[in-house]
Amino acid sequence: MTAPLPKRIIKETERLQTEPVPGISAQPHDDNARYFDVMVQGPDGSCYEGGVFSLELFLPDDYPMTPPRIRFLTRIYHPNIDRLGRICLDVLKNNWSPALQIRTILLSIQALLGAPNPEDPLNEAVAKQWKENQGEAIKTAREWTKLYAQPKQ
Amino acid sequence: MNQDAGTVESRRLGLDAHGEARKFVRLLQCSQCARPYRSPVTLPCGNSLCRECLPEAHEREGISYPDIPNRRKGIQCPFPSCEREHSASDCNVDVALNKVMEVIAEVFARYENIISNKLRAQGDTDVQMQEQVLGEVLDEKAESETSLPRGRLLAAYILAMQGQLSLDSDTIKYDSGTAAESERSADFTMMHDISDTALPQVDCQVCYNLMLDPVTTFCGHTLCRVCMSRVLDHSLHCPICRRVLALPPTIGLHPNNKTLVDLSNTLWPDMVKARRETVAAEEQEIAQGDMNTPLFVCTLGFPEQPTFLRIFEPRYRLMLRRCLEGSREFGILMYNRYSEPQGDLGPVHFYQIGTMLRIVRAQLLADGTSLVETVGTERFRVTRHGVADGYAIGNVELIHDVNLAEEERIEAAETSQPPPADEEDVHAQIARMPTVDLLRFGQEFVRRMQGRSANWLQQRVLDIHGQPPDDARLFPYWFASVLPISEEEKYKLLDTRTVRDRLKITAAWIKRIESQRW
Ligand SMILES: [Zn+2]
Ligand SMILES: [Zn+2]
Ligand SMILES: [Zn+2]
Ligand SMILES: [Zn+2]
Repeated sequence: MTAPLPKRIIKETERLQTEPVPGISAQPHDDNARYFDVMVQGPDGSCYEGGVFSLELFLPDDYPMTPPRIRFLTRIYHPNIDRLGRICLDVLKNNWSPALQIRTILLSIQALLGAPNPEDPLNEAVAKQWKENQGEAIKTAREWTKLYAQPKQ
Repeated sequence: MNQDAGTVESRRLGLDAHGEARKFVRLLQCSQCARPYRSPVTLPCGNSLCRECLPEAHEREGISYPDIPNRRKGIQCPFPSCEREHSASDCNVDVALNKVMEVIAEVFARYENIISNKLRAQGDTDVQMQEQVLGEVLDEKAESETSLPRGRLLAAYILAMQGQLSLDSDTIKYDSGTAAESERSADFTMMHDISDTALPQVDCQVCYNLMLDPVTTFCGHTLCRVCMSRVLDHSLHCPICRRVLALPPTIGLHPNNKTLVDLSNTLWPDMVKARRETVAAEEQEIAQGDMNTPLFVCTLGFPEQPTFLRIFEPRYRLMLRRCLEGSREFGILMYNRYSEPQGDLGPVHFYQIGTMLRIVRAQLLADGTSLVETVGTERFRVTRHGVADGYAIGNVELIHDVNLAEEERIEAAETSQPPPADEEDVHAQIARMPTVDLLRFGQEFVRRMQGRSANWLQQRVLDIHGQPPDDARLFPYWFASVLPISEEEKYKLLDTRTVRDRLKITAAWIKRIESQRW
């Protein structure tokens, strides 16, 4: 069954295009308006600076009662993002509220890039490195950003 | 803003901005102080008043639970329709109404500014202009000297602001002067301006539509009634401020925000109407669409047998609510844990055949979960399936037994077969037994097991499912409901077309139990 797209999703999508957030873009697929290609720029001053990360975002059937499903497609060295690109972020889980939106979630993800939190890890190995040798971890994150997250021409 | 109900020119208002200016201003007036609401609080009874106009809080008596400091203070509700005591902590500024009032005040202030600037420019000697804008309250002679700017709306609003427009005063004598037509058009312009600028303030933060049947929480946040009840399915926290909502478990008991309802009906009547129709159509679509059977993927149910369910998942709470408001029936399907292929549907997450359950009783618990007592009606097969708000829905075809003549024909054919070649072949033996013997075989087994005080036949079980039925049609369903064997095995009963086939299945179970092969 293809239910008509809720007004909320239409409006959110419109606003993402008309009032874009700096450093973030989200483009719905032509054949599935609930599926978005997302690009997030690494925040300035972070070890992801200069990187352009692509993510996929899907609005489940009962969105906004349940949060969007979102994961990184670009490989990233980050204690709160695992090898499959899954993100450990409270607002995507228990702290989700239907008053939040795609825009606020993407901003939270961008903020997470600026402030990795190895105390609440999803990727244990990275978190361990981050805690034991932060300099080395940041260096690796920079290298990965250069290696995997370069903007495509 | 791009709105559904068209532009300023075409949007209809719920009242005549000029002729009913007084009536509109009354909607903005606090019943306690008669001024336009200042930091309005919407009480748990749905009535609003200024925060300043809240009666003084007193120490509440006779309340020991929940003993939370901020709930110890109470307010005696001043509204005659209520007169209850509200906890002071439940009386917070109504964020949406407050914003609407601010926006309205800004619109009026803007027009007042324009007018007074014009007046100043033309000088105080311009008597004709002054006459045009003069308005006075008939029943308050003392104010007759007050000079008021143009338009009835603005005149009445300013009188209210000054505290000079008592709530029940119906007549304001407007000096229509020579330019009645320009006054009329000023009122309409202002009213449309209010309608436009206030609209974003009543946008529901969940559905992004005009709030329909606005419900205001005790923390002062407002959503559509439907959105609020959806939120409550998922969380007990306010989506906006995350405070515990502490609303009654059924949102139905919580009143609408009366002031916002009145304002919406006045400022955006067509949008309210369109919204109501859309919501009704959506519910209708789910209730009467092509895939109109709600499907609860959980466990097995059997015709004419009770099934008790505890509904706690948000999506199923919504399903239950819709069922209770509609046919009170839904289909129950067993979870397909091994992803076995289900005919044309492929390896879907449920077994294709289930049983319709009729809700006998539903008890909503304080934590939002429900205990539901149901009884099975018909069996069905899912032919197509989809999703509505997170739960499965489907198009189903009912499964009926063959008619009696066919049942008899099959029995006669099967029982007249020559004896099996292998005397040990249990299935061949069962296949040749008369239907009544198959029933008796089952009943005797139950009696024997009762004699041995089998666990699964304890009084507790019989209290729920009753004694084994004498009706051959139902015995297998009863038996399956009480017998502790795998669900996948019991599932076989659902895909039968004859009473005889079902009894053969139960007889085979008994043979297996007796031969200790289970
Ligand atoms: Zn009250
Ligand atoms: Zn007041
Ligand atoms: Zn809503
Ligand atoms: Zn709140």
